[in-house]
Amino acid sequence: MPAKGSKGTRPKTKYRPWAHTADLGWRIQGGTLEELFENAAQALVATLTDRRTLRSREVREITVEAPDKEALLVDWLNHLLYLFDIEGFLGRDFKVLSLTPRRLQAQARGEIFEPTRHPEKTGVKAATYHHLKITPKNEGWQATVVLDL
Amino acid sequence: MATQIKLRQVDEYRWEIPREGKMRTRGLIFASQEMIPKIQEDQSLQQVANVATLPGIAGASLAMPDIHWGYGFPIGGVAAFNLEEGVVSPGGVGYDINCGVRLLRTNLRRAEIEPRFAELINTLFRNIPSGLGSRRKDLKLSMPTLKEVLRYGSQWAVKQGYGSAADLEHIEARGRIEGADPDLVSEFAMNRGKDQLGTLGSGNHFVEVGYVAEIYDEAVAYALGLYVGQVTIIVHTGSRGLGHQVCDDYIKVMLKAAAKYGIELPDRQLCCAPLSSPEGRQYLAAMAGAANYAFANRQMITHWVRESCEQVLQMGPRDLGLELVYDVAHNIAKIEEHVVNGKWQKLCVHRKGATRAFPPGHPEVPEAYRQTGQPVLIPGDMGRYSFVLVGTEKALEETFGSTCHGAGRQMSRHQALKVARGRDIIKEMAARDIIVRGAGRGTVDEEISEAYKDVEAVVQVAHGAGISRKVAKLKPLGVMKG
Repeated sequence: MPAKGSKGTRPKTKYRPWAHTADLGWRIQGGTLEELFENAAQALVATLTDRRTLRSREVREITVEAPDKEALLVDWLNHLLYLFDIEGFLGRDFKVLSLTPRRLQAQARGEIFEPTRHPEKTGVKAATYHHLKITPKNEGWQATVVLDL
Repeated sequence: MATQIKLRQVDEYRWEIPREGKMRTRGLIFASQEMIPKIQEDQSLQQVANVATLPGIAGASLAMPDIHWGYGFPIGGVAAFNLEEGVVSPGGVGYDINCGVRLLRTNLRRAEIEPRFAELINTLFRNIPSGLGSRRKDLKLSMPTLKEVLRYGSQWAVKQGYGSAADLEHIEARGRIEGADPDLVSEFAMNRGKDQLGTLGSGNHFVEVGYVAEIYDEAVAYALGLYVGQVTIIVHTGSRGLGHQVCDDYIKVMLKAAAKYGIELPDRQLCCAPLSSPEGRQYLAAMAGAANYAFANRQMITHWVRESCEQVLQMGPRDLGLELVYDVAHNIAKIEEHVVNGKWQKLCVHRKGATRAFPPGHPEVPEAYRQTGQPVLIPGDMGRYSFVLVGTEKALEETFGSTCHGAGRQMSRHQALKVARGRDIIKEMAARDIIVRGAGRGTVDEEISEAYKDVEAVVQVAHGAGISRKVAKLKPLGVMKG
């Protein structure tokens, strides 16, 4: 059984790139599903900018609903892209407040993107359903998400 | 990692995936012998085969020579579906609805702009917001106005004073896809679109100033107003966040619809709905809105390109002669009439990373190009060259009037960054007399020439196979990357 948020079982790499020529795939790890969703958000932000340059100055509460946990992951990431598009908000830290296979409530702490202070990396159009997977792995979870760039 | 898909060579430029298993038709790939090993490395052929399983597919599941691994449908994929049993799929269009290219010509020769060239690129960079999260601080649209944009596309922009009526004659579908219904576009999408109109965005989008380096067909080039040494400008962008959101919204609708209508999906990203269903019709109306947004976007950017040139070069519009050669969409689904098995049929043609290439005399080709065929614009990477082609009768017969759209990546962005590490790409380009301005250094590094296939090889296949004809080669002088 996956240990709930126990530090001892937390995988070393939260996310690593997964080969895809035109776009970008991320393999994301998490000790728990909650952590998996948090790490996926970090991977997304790390695609856009250097996450470490962001400060936790503002909070956004986010709720998304979807038919299953995989679709929920895509929705979560696309909602973060929506926030970025409409107000430039990028989260540095993410906290899942509650998670069921069909509903996610989370908090993002971060700030408004400022090209002079935050390095521009790669623009992301959307998180896709292509090769989308969430599977149990090493007493935790692993997700694969392909981003359209 | 890719399972080997059966592939049979038909002739020098055509390869067939024989119909097998759940495929309803064969796959047909336009490529040269040299391209095949690279194509086989990833999953794009599997994707061609997957598309062939969808209901109501007319003709073959097609792939253009710039085919590469997409999500769901391959990039470079063309698939047509009949309106009765066929389907429409947001994944067959892509997230950047009506991503496209427009080409402007000028009355100027290279030498005439040289003294002020750096200033011109800088001015373009200042006047056209680009890069990550780019928005216009000076232009935030109200909801009613945004709805007008979605309904009327470039025609809206021209009415507002961005460009002239003559521009409209030189845009695919005259810059407006009919049947757009803004009420079927979500509030989320509308919010994303409010202050992004007139922005370039990021990634592979760009404004490029270049010149005509070579002409392959004098008569056609003349009809298109192109001559050697002439300065040209290319704009490449799409529907920005609004389009991405429309795609994402309707993929969710289609996931449910596919289950509802019993459509079996080999990949969730292929989700679709019958063209005759409410879901299918709604997507087409929302997609048309996003496509129109993209047409308006390119039209407004064109206006600022013109303004920037007038400002820097101190010339009036007449002397500059910045006229639109053509504007093509390369991510779109359109209802068109084609001959299938000897009979005219209305079809929904998906072009995902593919360009329409209608022949001379086709009613949808503007008057000015009735004799030459529709201009096709194929941008290459930022360091090499781009091409102007025209559509052909053969394209109409074989590919529902479609051809390639660009070079196609051969390196992932990560590989490209690795290759670029420790190098100063902007300096390297400057050494080749190409000025590059990019909002983010990452974007420039990811877009290095080596990351792309040679677009000339791609165009050569399209030309050799006869699905379009080479007219001119353009070389870059300065590029503003998104």
